Amino acid sequence: MESLTGWWDDFFWGSLVVVQVFFVSLVLMVFFGLLGSAAKLSNSKALQKIANGYTIVFRGTPEILILLLFYFGSAITLTAIVNVFDPSIKFVDIDPFWAGSIAIGLIVGAYATETFRGAFLGVDPGQIEASRALGISNFNTFVYIRIPAMWRLALPPFGNHMLSLIKDTALISVIGLQETMFVAEQATANTGEPFVMYLAVGIIYLSFSTIITLTVMGYEKYGNKHLEVGK
Amino acid sequence: MNFDFSLIISSIPQLLEGLGLTFQLWIFSGIFGLLLAIVLMLMRISGKWYLSAPAMVYIYIFRGTPILVQLFIIYHGLPQVEFIRESFLWVVLREPFGCGILALTLNTGAYVSEILRGGVKGVPKGLGEAGAALGLSKMHRFIYITTPLAVRLAIPAYSNDVISLMKSTALVSTITLLDMMGIARVIVSETYAPYEIFISLMIIYLVITWATQKAFALFERRMSRHIIQ
Amino acid sequence: MSLANTAPKTVISLQDVDKYFGEFHALRKINLTVAKGERIVICGPSGSGKSTLIRCINRLEEHNSGKIIVDGHELTDQVKDIDAVRREVGMVFQNFNLFPHLTIVENLMLAPRLVRKTAKAEARKHAMTLLERVRIPEQADKYPSQLSGGQQQRVAIARALCMNPAIMLFDEPTSALDPEMINEVLEVMTDLAKEGMTMICVTHEMGFARSVADTVVFMDAGEIVERNTPEEFFKNPQEERTQKFLKQILSH
Repeated sequence: MESLTGWWDDFFWGSLVVVQVFFVSLVLMVFFGLLGSAAKLSNSKALQKIANGYTIVFRGTPEILILLLFYFGSAITLTAIVNVFDPSIKFVDIDPFWAGSIAIGLIVGAYATETFRGAFLGVDPGQIEASRALGISNFNTFVYIRIPAMWRLALPPFGNHMLSLIKDTALISVIGLQETMFVAEQATANTGEPFVMYLAVGIIYLSFSTIITLTVMGYEKYGNKHLEVGK
Repeated sequence: MNFDFSLIISSIPQLLEGLGLTFQLWIFSGIFGLLLAIVLMLMRISGKWYLSAPAMVYIYIFRGTPILVQLFIIYHGLPQVEFIRESFLWVVLREPFGCGILALTLNTGAYVSEILRGGVKGVPKGLGEAGAALGLSKMHRFIYITTPLAVRLAIPAYSNDVISLMKSTALVSTITLLDMMGIARVIVSETYAPYEIFISLMIIYLVITWATQKAFALFERRMSRHIIQ
Repeated sequence: MSLANTAPKTVISLQDVDKYFGEFHALRKINLTVAKGERIVICGPSGSGKSTLIRCINRLEEHNSGKIIVDGHELTDQVKDIDAVRREVGMVFQNFNLFPHLTIVENLMLAPRLVRKTAKAEARKHAMTLLERVRIPEQADKYPSQLSGGQQQRVAIARALCMNPAIMLFDEPTSALDPEMINEVLEVMTDLAKEGMTMICVTHEMGFARSVADTVVFMDAGEIVERNTPEEFFKNPQEERTQKFLKQILSH
C-alpha cells in the first residue's frame, strides 16, 4: 500500500482526465443520440437508413476497434487533408483525448439513439391529443408535454449509458491517453506492484460509477415525485 | 492518401486465423459466465443475507468497473500476489488465455445474473399464487413455473449480453493474445494501413453480430410462440 | 378433529381474525363458520377486505391474530399445515393465472403429478374428465393464449378441481370477463354447487348469489356487517351500510 505514496497526485490528475473525457463524450452522446433518434423517427427513408447504419455499425463493432480506427484513421485522414495544402508535413498528430471522446460519444450515442427513440414512442399519445385539443401549439406541446414524459422514460437506461461512458474511458488508454490506466502502467514499471496500482484504478472507477448511479437514482426520485400516492 | 480496397478483401483470410481464438474465448466465457450467473442469481434471490449480500457486492464491483481494468488486474496484477503464484490456479492464470477467460467470465457472470434476475421478477405474481393454491411447493413452483417463463423473458437482454461478450473478446489483444483483433494490430503495424485492415475486421465482427442476432430472434420466436407478453 | 358445535359439519372456522397491511387494518375481528356443502357469497365495496379474507383461508395472505381452522387443520406458519390446507382448498382467481407455457391439459396435470405423485396417464385421464365437466375437452392440447377469457376461466376451475378439493374459493371469477362470457363461467359454478361442493365466492354477480348461495355475507371496511340467507339479505337488509351498498349496485 505504501507503494502508492508519491503516486496520489498522478492518479488524481489521471482521474481528472477521465472526468473531462466523460463530460465531453456525454455531450456528444446526447447530441448523437437525439440526432439518431430524430432520424429514425422521421419520415425520410434515407435518414432512417443512415441512422440504422449508424446504430448497426457502432453497436456491432468492438469499442476498442472503433477507437483504434478513429485514432489511426483520423490521423491519416487529417494528414492527407493537410498534405493537400502542405505536402511537406509527414504526419498530423491527433490528440487521443479528442479522438477518444468523439469515438466514445459515437459508440454510446448509438445505444442512446435506441433509448431516445423508444422513449419518444413511449409517450402516451392521449396526452399529446389532449394538449392539442386544448389549443396548445405543436412546439409548446413538444417542450412542455412530450419532453418531460420522454425524459422520465429515458432516465433509467440513460443512467446505464452514462455508466458505459465512464467505463469506456479506460479504453482510451490504449491509444495513449494519459489517464489513470496510463498512470498505473507507469507506477507499475516504477514500483513493481501492478496489483496495487491496477486495483487503485479499479477503485477510482468504482467511485465514479457509484456517483453516477446515486445521481441517477436521485433524479429518478425527483422525476417521479408526482407519481407517489399520498398516504 | 491511397485507399487500397483490395487490401480490405485480401486481409480477411489472415484476420480469420484469429477466429478460432475469438470463438474459444467467447464460448468458454459464455458458458462459464452463464453458470456463474445462475449461482449469483440464486444467491441474490435466496432471501438469506449471507448469500445475497456477497452476491450484490460482487455484481456491484464487476458492473461498476471497466472490463479492461478487470483484465489488467488479473493478467498484470495477480502475478504479484504470492498466494496466487503458489496455488494450483497458477497454471491457468500464468497464461494470457486463462486470464482472458477468467476476466470475461467474471464480468459477464455479473451482468447475466442481473438479466436472469430481471426475468424472474418479470414472471407475473399471480402464476406463483396459482401454483401455491394448487399445493405446489416453493421449489416446484420455481422449477416448473418461474424458470420456464423467466428464461423466455430474459432472452432479448441475454442476446445483447452475448454480443457484448463477443465484442469484449477483442480486449485480449491488449494482453498479447492473437485473436482477430490482435492479428489486426500486428498487420497494421507492418503495413501502415490501419483504415483498410480495421475496416476489414469491422466487417467480420458485424457479420458475426448479425448472425448471432438472427439466431436469437429465431430462438425467441420458437420459445415464445404461445406466450403473449 | 372438527369443531362439532353445529349439526352440519363445520369445515372452515375463522375466529377473531385480524389482518394488517402495514398500518392499514384490512380485517377486523372476523368471525365466520362455513358448513360442509354450504355456498357462501361475499360481497361488498372494493377495499372491504373480501379478497383478503378468502386469501387468508389458503394462506396466500397471513393473518396477524386469531385462528383459522380448515377441515380440521389449523393454519399456522408450519409448511406442512399450509400444504395440508392447500390440498383441500382450491382457488379460482380473477385473472385466471393459467400457466402460459403449458397446454391446457398440462395445466391441469401439473399439480396432481407433482403434489399427489399421480402417474402421467392417470393424471391425463382425470384431467380430460374434468375438461369434459367444464365443457371444453376439445381445447386440451391448445395453449391458454389461444382460448377466450371465458374458456380460460373454465379451465382454471377445472385445474383447481383436479386436486379433488373439499372446498372451492372463488376470488371475483367473472370480474375480468367480457359480459357475454360471464354466463358460461357462472353455469359451471352453478353445476358445481348443485353437486354439493362447499364454496366461498367473492363476486358482484347478485343473480348468482340469489340463485345459488345459501348465505350472503356483506363486508365493509374490514368487518362482516351482515350475514343472511339471500332472500332475507336482498329483501330486508338490516344494516344501513348494507342498504346503501345494495342501492348502489342494484340501481344500474
